[in-house]
Amino acid sequence: MTKKLSRRDFLKVAAATGGAAAVVGGTKALFTSSQAKAAGAGQLTTSAQDVIVPGVCSLCPSGCGILARVADGKVVKLEGNPMHPINLGALCPKGQAAPELLYNPDRITGPMKRNGERGSGDWDEISWDDAAQLVAEQIRAAREAGHPESVALMYGDTRGQLRSFFERFMQAVGSPNLVSKESLNTAAAKLGMFLTQGLYALPVYDLENANYILSFGANLLEAGWNPQRTISGWTFGRRGRSNRNKIVVIDPRQGVHGAKADEWIPINPGTDAALALGMAYVIIKSNLFDSQFVHDYGFGFDDFVGEGGKTRKGFKNWVLENYDPKKVEKITGVPATTIARLAGELASNKPAVAVLPGKGGLLNGGMGGVYAAMAIHMLNGLIGAIESPGGVLAQQYFPVTPYPDLSKDTVAAKGLQAERVDGAGTLFPLARHAYQAVADRVLEGYPLEALFLYDCNPVFDAPGGAKFIQAFEKIPLVVSFSTFMDESAQYADLVLPEPTFLERWQDDYIEGLGYPGIALRQPVIEPLYDTMNTADFLLRVANSLGGEIAKAFPWDSYEQVLEFRLQEIGSDWEALKELGVWLTPGYRFAKRGSERWFDIVGRDRLRAPRDGYFDFYSRELFTLLGKKNKGDLEKFGVTQMGDGAALPHPEPVAYAGGEAEFPFVLNVFTLMSLGPKSETANMPSLQEISGMTVRETWDSWLEMNPKSAEELGLRENDRVNIESPFGRIRTQVKLAPGLHPDVVNLPFNQGHTAVGRFAKGRGVNGLEIMNPASEPLCGLAAFTNTRVKVSRA
Amino acid sequence: MTNWCMVIDLDKCVACQACSIACRMENNTPVVSPEEAKNGRAIRWNDVFPLPVHFGPDLGEYPNVKTHYQTRPCMHCKNAPCVKACPVQATYIDEEGIVRQNYNRCIGCRFCTVACPYGVRYFNWYKPQWEGTLAEYRNPDQVRVNGSLEGPAVRPVGVVEKCTYCVHRLVKAREQAAAEGREFRADEYVPACVQTCTGKARYFGDLDDPNSTVSQLSKSLRAVHLLEDSGAHPKTLYLSEG
Repeated sequence: MTKKLSRRDFLKVAAATGGAAAVVGGTKALFTSSQAKAAGAGQLTTSAQDVIVPGVCSLCPSGCGILARVADGKVVKLEGNPMHPINLGALCPKGQAAPELLYNPDRITGPMKRNGERGSGDWDEISWDDAAQLVAEQIRAAREAGHPESVALMYGDTRGQLRSFFERFMQAVGSPNLVSKESLNTAAAKLGMFLTQGLYALPVYDLENANYILSFGANLLEAGWNPQRTISGWTFGRRGRSNRNKIVVIDPRQGVHGAKADEWIPINPGTDAALALGMAYVIIKSNLFDSQFVHDYGFGFDDFVGEGGKTRKGFKNWVLENYDPKKVEKITGVPATTIARLAGELASNKPAVAVLPGKGGLLNGGMGGVYAAMAIHMLNGLIGAIESPGGVLAQQYFPVTPYPDLSKDTVAAKGLQAERVDGAGTLFPLARHAYQAVADRVLEGYPLEALFLYDCNPVFDAPGGAKFIQAFEKIPLVVSFSTFMDESAQYADLVLPEPTFLERWQDDYIEGLGYPGIALRQPVIEPLYDTMNTADFLLRVANSLGGEIAKAFPWDSYEQVLEFRLQEIGSDWEALKELGVWLTPGYRFAKRGSERWFDIVGRDRLRAPRDGYFDFYSRELFTLLGKKNKGDLEKFGVTQMGDGAALPHPEPVAYAGGEAEFPFVLNVFTLMSLGPKSETANMPSLQEISGMTVRETWDSWLEMNPKSAEELGLRENDRVNIESPFGRIRTQVKLAPGLHPDVVNLPFNQGHTAVGRFAKGRGVNGLEIMNPASEPLCGLAAFTNTRVKVSRA
Repeated sequence: MTNWCMVIDLDKCVACQACSIACRMENNTPVVSPEEAKNGRAIRWNDVFPLPVHFGPDLGEYPNVKTHYQTRPCMHCKNAPCVKACPVQATYIDEEGIVRQNYNRCIGCRFCTVACPYGVRYFNWYKPQWEGTLAEYRNPDQVRVNGSLEGPAVRPVGVVEKCTYCVHRLVKAREQAAAEGREFRADEYVPACVQTCTGKARYFGDLDDPNSTVSQLSKSLRAVHLLEDSGAHPKTLYLSEG
């Protein structure tokens, strides 16, 4: 049997021979009866041919392994892949409904070129070759003008090797403008890690082994950055082991996670930092902290002598002087006795862990949120939960085969020195990406000649996204790789549809358990339409560009790129296709102070030594802010000076909209059902179940505390106007007793004006009335500082 | 004979609704129009819904509130009211304890939907429809009993349908064992909702086998039936929270 049989070939062969007994490339015959046989419960008739093909879901960042049941060439059911360690055979409603994505009647069936005005919906067909020529010409023109940086790529999820592939492409072209969506969601948590532990990465929590889990607004059960992973960890701790864990959720909104937790602590919005520091006060005062860790592997716990012989304030005295729980009670609304109890429970029920929100919750969105993330992560440092069972782990990856050396031409080398289009690193000194700022900066005059949109829909998913429509007007070529005609693709010049995750080659890093793993997406059926993997398209573009760029991409297809990159992970390519996953289970803990410890603590620091010390006093922030004067700091939204700027502290939230006029804080939260991506809103089954928590369906709603609603004379299902300084939307009220009286919740991913027939015209998009500004230090989208007023419509 | 039973641990259930959608994709329950869904005519054999419960001194007052989330498949009652109410014996309890529905016999009188204390029987008010290409993903499996359709076969308008514990999967697993020339074991089959459960909150097996997980769990102090006093002798078990 030939070893080099591609999936597409295999499907053809299998169809031609009518037999599915062959076990090739991850396919195995499960059940092949076409004849009804007598049995006790009845007789069965089914398809002539059933094959099971592994893959990986892409509808949220969890990346669960799937097994697709392909019956007579049609995908009829998805199950979780039991080999995949994130979901262990489980699959959430989005993954279950994925056949509705594949067979969605609103998919784009082939590449299209704009004919009429932008946004007119008038499209011509275009061939892939012509599209590649067109894109290559635009890039060539930008490079010939000496400005390769005027080519930008914005992306949402880039799984596996795709991130490095995009990086390589942009570097070969010569543009630093590869902009991630993380400033909308995970950046605050990553910065919290970076400024304390020195890793610019999301923390990994060993939830299974934790006796006590303290979640600061981390929506562990609906829409964190890895919901299936956190659900597995949560429920294992419930009944999968001899002693049941205790889970405490701190969040103004009870939601599903607060209801399922052992205790829900409602907190005033935006005051998590104060609560964490109040707990730190109790832990320090009661001597419950891990003394060895804070003194031998922590920096700045005690006062210390800095440069010039000046005595600097350490974390301990900072906390003891400022964050007495009685004082914290006034800020957070959480009783001092509760704060003391939580602190005691956390520090004396080890292993215990304090969990940061990756997405959702009221933590993200301002420098105050970053300080909060630091304070929360420092609780883990205080109790010695860093790199320990039941605590915080650091994600490890397989070593992949390095790409061949990239020789950049002079144009590219110059272009890479240019300032980024989103201002990350310059305008926003601590930012790595500032997705929402791209529109502002383009409108301010940053010249872009070509903009690519991969797995993102900024017109819909950025606060005040309409500004992107104006920004697109200034860009001669906007290309969307969306599978659906979403709000951003509508205003593009070229729409080059990528196939769904069930029809394309892509790998996926298994993240969230600490140990390294790779999962593989492969076409489980032949692509339904004339679509092309974006990476394959870029290979064509690179080829047309010629020169060093073409030399940088000596592959014919992205499948070959994957085969090349993954050749040394320890799995044979055929085995990987058959299993769908490859991993080396079992997290290897780095011993404190060992050589590997330096990969766990301090690895990514830029302005502070990578010395393996966990910062209780952020040297990174001190270098950046320590010597700035009050006025400069205020511009960054930091009210403390000197040591205070480097130590975690609560910052008053700079709300847009005065409290008198706009009494409620707007919280736009993500649902388990509709998820974070625009295309899921066009899956009818998910629309049907989207409003389960409030018994609503196919619509938006505004959650309000019953008392707050009563004061406004509002009852369940009343239509209301929600007005912020940035606009007004209209929806219905749902009373949510488990909600802070000053907060209102609006679910994300309704209010589409495009995408498809099921998504369009349903409900409202809360981001339309959200503060479109960027936080000045870290470039975060201002996600949590919008106030609104609610009135009867 | 096996006595199939499901146990749902509410301490592990996280109300994600994967069961609802897994059931839909496995059993070809149609999406109804948004208007009909708002009227409560959505067909999800396993639905999840919130039940506000209150505790503490100020009952129901913020912050002493809690919502309980209930997931609800068919209880496959031993003394099933729906079976008694059916005038044409379209619904019946099979010898393995599964309450089943014969679409060819059903006359659409909906007595059973009223009789059921749990509200888990669903009427097809309209011809089930899948818009455009969405029809492609329908499960091709069909179960026939004496020529009559059951299980995931697409239903005609005007009949009642319900959870079958994915009986076609049972038939399939039996056939697979027979084809491989070996005895069928009770752990070779689970319904779609059990397989997909994100919190691993669902267990399935033979209640009459003292060594099975479900029979062990049925002895738990947390084990409860919904509406125990309804007289229906529900079989599907819940393990209470906390």
